[in-house]
Amino acid sequence: MQDAHAQGAYQFGMLPAVNVNGKLNKGWSVNTKIESRQLLQRGDAEGGVSREYAYLLTDLSLIVARKVGLNTRLAGGYLIRFEDGGVVHRFIQQYIQVQQLGGSRLAHRVVCDQTFSSVEEAAFRLRYRITSEIPLDGKVVDPGEFYLKLNNEYLNSLQASEYDLQIRLVPLLGYDLRHSFKIEAGLDYRVDGFLHNSATHELWMTLNVFIEV
Amino acid sequence: MFKPTTILLLLAIHATGTLSAQEKFEKESRIRLEEVPAEALLFVDSLKVERRVKWYREESLVGTSFEAKFKHDRSCYSVEFDTLGRVEDIEVEIAWADVPSEIRDPIALRLAMDCTRHKVVKVQEQYTGTTSSLLHILRADGGEQPLRTNYELIVRCRQERSVDLYEYLFSGEGGLLSRAKIVFRNSSHLEY
Repeated sequence: MQDAHAQGAYQFGMLPAVNVNGKLNKGWSVNTKIESRQLLQRGDAEGGVSREYAYLLTDLSLIVARKVGLNTRLAGGYLIRFEDGGVVHRFIQQYIQVQQLGGSRLAHRVVCDQTFSSVEEAAFRLRYRITSEIPLDGKVVDPGEFYLKLNNEYLNSLQASEYDLQIRLVPLLGYDLRHSFKIEAGLDYRVDGFLHNSATHELWMTLNVFIEV
Repeated sequence: MFKPTTILLLLAIHATGTLSAQEKFEKESRIRLEEVPAEALLFVDSLKVERRVKWYREESLVGTSFEAKFKHDRSCYSVEFDTLGRVEDIEVEIAWADVPSEIRDPIALRLAMDCTRHKVVKVQEQYTGTTSSLLHILRADGGEQPLRTNYELIVRCRQERSVDLYEYLFSGEGGLLSRAKIVFRNSSHLEY
């Protein structure tokens, strides 16, 4: 990802992901996720454009969570990233709170993660994400109904003593096929580097699948 | 908001264990005015509600009903109708402190028995009776018609090793009619 940033002022591509979630006993649950990133176009600050398709990476993650309050959950997990040049390891700790606000729901997520690889310095991030779910038919999202999902996330990162902030804005249209299967499509916009006067914009066409087992 | 029939259904689900906790037993959807039974529309029109009225169709295992939600005289009302448009009940959101003390005290005692710590999140007064008596409630014109009043409470209840949300239904005398644990909808897609 960092290499790609250095090569262009913007990137455009695809970001499909499949989540499989399972409930365990006594308030425990597990999330497994596979996500792939593919580049369709990139451009540099001087106006150069490349439309060459490039497979960038695949993430596999496993997160185990435990309910700690009425609507709060503590979670921890591990992510492994396969990308050109090697394997990246990431350890994740997160706190999640989901609020019911009339017809819509609001989720707050705070994440700490630590990333290690053989080719880059360790990276430490502190992230906050707010997500809202708005039903498009009725008071709650029922099977066979659409919903809007909006994510806004702020990622503070520290790598090799250099601080950066990435902001993400992700509008998605979701469809609840049945409560155990949801599908979402939309755009994932990310901007970083603007604190160092070298902003990089990314736009990913996102397709998320959530399966409950 | 769940109706008594839904609460009974919830209890049945818990008792039999034949449906998973995630299974949806009630489906509601916004509907247009043209889809509302004429008698229900007439009832709400006669109230001269100034704020917007939202109409819903609710389908559950026990049948279909229609619901009008609106704000009236600074209170949130929910009026439920059957498929022919006949009014079934009215729910009005009130403050816990506004529940008469002779009813609030036995309710508080019951909650203290069930929970090591509790917080009343929401209270609704629920009226059932004839159409004309219910109309008097909404018009607040002091009609002395026979009415049955229940109290529906959403309670955050901490027990030994868990904290959950419960829906309680109490009679107008403070007696417990039903109690059901509220099952939260899946939120994995908001968390990951």
